[in-house]
Amino acid sequence: MASKATKPDYEALRELFRPHIDSFNYFIDEGLEKALLSIRPVEVSDPSTGGKLRIYFENPQVFHPVREGRITTTKGRITEALYPHECRQARTTYKGEFKVTICLQYNERQPVQTPMSFGHLPIMLRSRLCHLKDADPQKLIFHKEEATEMGGYFICNGLERLGRLLIVPKRNYPMGMIRSSFRSRGVGYSDKAVVIRCVREDQSSVTVKLYYLQNGSARLGFWIRGREFLLPVGIVLKALIDTSDREIFVSLTCCYNDRYQKQRGAVGSQIIGERAQIILEEVRDLSLLTSSQCLKHIGEYFRPVMDGFENEFHTTVAEAVLRDYVFVHLTRNHDKFNLLIFMLQKLYALVDQTVAPDNSDALQNQEILLPGHLITIYVKEKVQDWLNKSRRQLLDELAKKEKNLQISMVHQVAKFLNRNAASVGRSVESMIKLGRLTTSSSLDLPQREGMTIQAERLNFYRFLSHFRSVHRGASFAKMRITSVRKLLPESWGFLCPVHTPDGEPCGLLNHMTSTCCISSFYDSEGKVKDFLKIRMSIMTVLVGVGMTPLLPKLERAGPPVVLHVLLDGCVVGSIASSKVEKAVAHIRSLKLSSLSGVPNDLEVGYVPLSLGGTYPGLYLFTSPSRFIRPVRNISHSSDSNLNIELIGPFEQAFMEIRCADGGDGGRRESFPATHEEIHPTGILSVVANLTPWSDHNQSPRNMYQCQMAKQTMGFSAQALQFRADVKSYHLQTPQSPIVRTASYSKYCMDEFPTGTNAIVAVLAYTGYDMEDAMILNKSSVDRGLCRGHIYQTESIDLTKNHDREDRVLEIFARSSEKTMKSSIDSDGLPYIGQVIHPNEPLYSSYNTLTSVTKPTRLKGSEPVIIDYVTVDGTTSKNYMQKVNIRTRRTRYPIIGDKFSSRHGQKGVCSQLWPDIDMPFSAVTGMRPDLIINPHAFPSRMTIGMLLESIAAKGGSLHGKFVDATPFQNSVSEKDEDRPSKSSTLVDELGPMLASYGFNYHGVEVLYSGVFGTELTCEIFIGPVYYQRLRHMVSDKFQVRSTGTVDQITRQPIGGRKRGGGIRFGEMERDSVLAHGAAYLLHDRLHSCSDYHIAEVCSFCGSVLTASVIQPQKRAVREIHGLPPARTPKSYTCHACKTSKGMETVAMPYVFKYLAAEMAAMNIKMELQLSNRAGSGG
Amino acid sequence: MAERVSYQRLPKVRIRELKDDYVKFELRETDVSIANALRRVMLAEVPTLAIDLVEIEVNSSVLNDEFIAHRLGLIPLTSDDAMRMRFSRDCDSCDGDGQCDYCSVEFHLNVRCDSDQTLDVTSADLRSTLPNVCPVDVAHRVLASADPNSYDSSDQRGILIVKLRRGQELRLRAIARKGIGKDHAKWSPAATVTFLYEPQIHINEELMETLTLEEKRAWVESSPTRVFGIDPSTQQVVVVDPEAYTYDQEVIKKSEAMGKPGLVEIYPKEDGFIFTVESTGAIKASQLVINAIEVLRQKLDAVRLQEDDSDFGELSAHLHGGG
Repeated sequence: MASKATKPDYEALRELFRPHIDSFNYFIDEGLEKALLSIRPVEVSDPSTGGKLRIYFENPQVFHPVREGRITTTKGRITEALYPHECRQARTTYKGEFKVTICLQYNERQPVQTPMSFGHLPIMLRSRLCHLKDADPQKLIFHKEEATEMGGYFICNGLERLGRLLIVPKRNYPMGMIRSSFRSRGVGYSDKAVVIRCVREDQSSVTVKLYYLQNGSARLGFWIRGREFLLPVGIVLKALIDTSDREIFVSLTCCYNDRYQKQRGAVGSQIIGERAQIILEEVRDLSLLTSSQCLKHIGEYFRPVMDGFENEFHTTVAEAVLRDYVFVHLTRNHDKFNLLIFMLQKLYALVDQTVAPDNSDALQNQEILLPGHLITIYVKEKVQDWLNKSRRQLLDELAKKEKNLQISMVHQVAKFLNRNAASVGRSVESMIKLGRLTTSSSLDLPQREGMTIQAERLNFYRFLSHFRSVHRGASFAKMRITSVRKLLPESWGFLCPVHTPDGEPCGLLNHMTSTCCISSFYDSEGKVKDFLKIRMSIMTVLVGVGMTPLLPKLERAGPPVVLHVLLDGCVVGSIASSKVEKAVAHIRSLKLSSLSGVPNDLEVGYVPLSLGGTYPGLYLFTSPSRFIRPVRNISHSSDSNLNIELIGPFEQAFMEIRCADGGDGGRRESFPATHEEIHPTGILSVVANLTPWSDHNQSPRNMYQCQMAKQTMGFSAQALQFRADVKSYHLQTPQSPIVRTASYSKYCMDEFPTGTNAIVAVLAYTGYDMEDAMILNKSSVDRGLCRGHIYQTESIDLTKNHDREDRVLEIFARSSEKTMKSSIDSDGLPYIGQVIHPNEPLYSSYNTLTSVTKPTRLKGSEPVIIDYVTVDGTTSKNYMQKVNIRTRRTRYPIIGDKFSSRHGQKGVCSQLWPDIDMPFSAVTGMRPDLIINPHAFPSRMTIGMLLESIAAKGGSLHGKFVDATPFQNSVSEKDEDRPSKSSTLVDELGPMLASYGFNYHGVEVLYSGVFGTELTCEIFIGPVYYQRLRHMVSDKFQVRSTGTVDQITRQPIGGRKRGGGIRFGEMERDSVLAHGAAYLLHDRLHSCSDYHIAEVCSFCGSVLTASVIQPQKRAVREIHGLPPARTPKSYTCHACKTSKGMETVAMPYVFKYLAAEMAAMNIKMELQLSNRAGSGG
Repeated sequence: MAERVSYQRLPKVRIRELKDDYVKFELRETDVSIANALRRVMLAEVPTLAIDLVEIEVNSSVLNDEFIAHRLGLIPLTSDDAMRMRFSRDCDSCDGDGQCDYCSVEFHLNVRCDSDQTLDVTSADLRSTLPNVCPVDVAHRVLASADPNSYDSSDQRGILIVKLRRGQELRLRAIARKGIGKDHAKWSPAATVTFLYEPQIHINEELMETLTLEEKRAWVESSPTRVFGIDPSTQQVVVVDPEAYTYDQEVIKKSEAMGKPGLVEIYPKEDGFIFTVESTGAIKASQLVINAIEVLRQKLDAVRLQEDDSDFGELSAHLHGGG
């Protein structure tokens, strides 16, 4: 009971869910406001009066979830807080009202502000708007939640759903790419481009591509409403700022210098001048000389696709295009111009192969899409849609002859607008519910479906993994190439190399490591970061370390001499390449101190000069939603807590980080390590970290364990009593593992244990343990080993059966018949604790229209026990209409159930062996709980499992838990300054066993339980933590002798649920044929399938023309009490009009069906009947 | 025709240690078949009483009905009368519904928590209809209170069944029946039954004397259990406790590693077994052994009485040495 004295600390656990919650908090705090205020005001003008109405938004607000109040007092409705537990039970959505003040300004009058409800938005649990935001375990338990409840998900219709973390290209970083698909953009396009994904403050993004043309010019491409628009880069350059051809020429060519040709880091080439000329000529050819001419040209071109600019000048349209689609992360045109020049230089370097293309599959060039940001984008899109739609409707209304609406009557307009405002909330809710984006534009997101997933609480590991999983994108799943699935060195420390499923989503669905986090909008004190201020302070720091700011227009040199400095995708200056390393070290040191104004998660991406490597430069990123992880900065050897630096994958590629084992990792003297890993287990995900001694296992085994840990029956929830999951698995008597890793206690896994410490003997005993089968001790099972339950909740909503909502049509009621009374209570619902067998009534309902009481029977083939019945009383009607019935099925281990150790060693129980027949130890009298075959080890090499067995044996004798954190020896040596004796793990564990009188190597002499004689070998025996997997025979067995057949073919139906058979298919047929087992074949495919005796007319050969002749009289009089004797049916051929040629032929019924199908196609099938065997056709 | 050979032997039992729930005895002049049969019968076929049928009236605790029923079943009950009782399936006077004293005992449990403190429902709350059948820890306590000399067990609260918080209630009727461990482990009266072959250890004294004291010490230490020791006066290796030897052959391997094979020879005695029996408390350990022998005899009787049966013709022919 030590846990009572010291309260468990769930902070580490909560930290894992932070990215989800932080992103949603930002949506509420700032994102929503920024998104809505960035929507351009809409103007509606009355064609008759010429009056103009401006519509714009102000002050968006989302409220706490409240219950729809039924109690109305004089003051209005009383609102009661709605708690997540109620939503799960009532199968409703945990949502809060979304209100926006709409400003309507008629002509130049005072704008009228009307608050308008945009429906309800789902609220993320434990976010700022959740009632459980800062709840401590006690409060959480009071509100019927888990004590550990971490939130981070939504509740939609009672289901827990969370946003899928998706990989997206790194924002505001121009990436050089080579894609053959770029050629298809048009004639003259090459396969090279520089691509930048620009992200606005409200997290919406626009990807801009700069294509290289074969003639040396470039085109700027971006997508508007599903179509890509391509602009000559010269026009854009000129339109952005008022500049001269010379200026453009100089800024393009200045980076090249003859002196440094072919030198390290030189990226330019001498043909840059020619290319610049081509760019400028292109513009001149269009006779666009000045900036305003270019703007006009652009405006003319884009006018048809830009909404709401019908009455504007061309230049205004063009400015809007440049603002809304070109480099949207920058606000000033000067910055955009500079960035475009930079991108052109990079593009030409890419073409000239002086730099390598960036790998878009590498984590270096990727970031993450967070659910809160997705919702921000989606809400903005939906509000925009609503605004455009409303504007159209207003115009339609105004165009109507009868003037119902006057836009001068602002309140009338507001009422009009209010009509379908709730659609915004609805569509956001449906997006979270289905994970499907329904938008006209792609929102610059990689996929439209699967944006959210359900958070299954099968067990805690699975639940947790959902929140840590990162998906590469659904479009990659269909691709044949494997390069996206590769584990690249760039993901070191950020994505777990072990925890990825094998099979279809392998390598696409990764999991963040336990130390990996996501940079957020919040600083360490929980305040929203002021990025402007941060950038300003970074700028001053940069200038301080020798950067030349860009502002005074200087002709600057290119990469070998100076490096460009980009801060969040904005070219801010350049720094001499001789100074840059010192500058980087200085900035890194500033990251460590909180007072400097430099945020601790700043990414200092210093790309050094190289020969044909990445385009050099100093790229700084302060942006959110980047991967970050802590490492130790050893160049700052101050206090060990103060030198933890957060680094990102972009900078990591160019950093020198050594492992914590004290070695140099094969580094050269000239590149000393500047950083050090904190602990080697930091590269593993939470689930992978829980495998004991995973460093002693063969790597695929650890992958299998990560999979199996997520399918284990365990403690899915402690608040099981209050949960209404559709299906949940529960282990009756779980145990805490004796052998555990440091993460186990760090993440309080004892709250949700998943297995049992079983005494495992490794021997081939009965033959029943062959091929990964295992033998369970029957007595152990009797005593409760691995006993489990399946809880299923059925929600019954009687209103759903009827469309009309105003009347109560069905109520729960019991029939007055005596047969029903046994299992159903007077309210029509079952008794709690009642056992209900299949086809017995589960509940019954009374239809008020037809006055019929109809029982609903239990489906399935297993008896269930009624665990709990909850009644939803939130509906306003007087009768209860919504009910949840939770049933329980006992699942005790039986033959065919699946078990696994924590080392990817799964097996199926093949026998429940009597205790007395199990081998026993003469010293202790122990009999094993479980026997596995020694053949499970040599090829799989799961040494960790053997170690676990020895360690757990020692640990249980010693009475303490054994720490099995992997890679221990690579840390401890340095820490404790031990002499470098090669102490293996066994050297530690063996003596522990020997001191208790056991064999050093964990083996024991066992005696046969049947004969009492000594077994010839010493047997390896010890406790191993075993998990029971959720795959159980009771859910899978399929058996059938006779049963339902298909209506058309009269063959047995398929499907376990319907009591169908297992398909005896083509290949099975082939094998039986090959064996020459003709009788068996006939039996399976004919006698036991669709055996049919058909009447065939031997004259016309048709199977279809037989018709029954009704006997004139009953030949036999009916005798009372006996079944009527069947008169033999006689047939006649309908075509030949005679019954003379009718013969009976046994055939598969499908054959007759085939004949009918053919007849429908005007093909006649004729059978030629003959009595002679073997006389064919 | 060969002479009829009698395989009859008269095994001897010598009790070494005897406690209520523990007995250690030697079984001699028999072979492993008898020893193992005894072990198996003790584990699986000596009848006891255990709760087998639970009718739950009210259960508002956190544990579900099956779980509580399972826990109740595993509580050992004093079953001194179990041998005399009938299996409920063989009972003529009833259908084993708990009303019949020959085959079943009824228990009642009626607990409700009305205080703010968590209430532990333990085996002590089970009320039995028969005074001599009760949970073993309760029986212990009764004995302990009667006998002032025995250890104080006031801090024992019985076997925990479930914990109740305020307002929760558990009310049930349970029927204990006679059964054997073969059917379900709850009827097994033995916690542990094991026997070991008595080892015969011969130290080759001559060879041993060739070892230095240091080597002797290393050799003695090589056994994880203390089988050998060094006589402090003579500095000779002596057998301290032969029965501590686990047949792990560590000492033999050690002597081979030292280049002195044959330093010691250890053989298991084929006709000497040392039994260790621990009882769950349902019946006394000594009674357990006696009952096991009784059960074994009944089983043999069943074979002997069917001697003339044609089914056993072959077997009896074999038994009587016929051919």
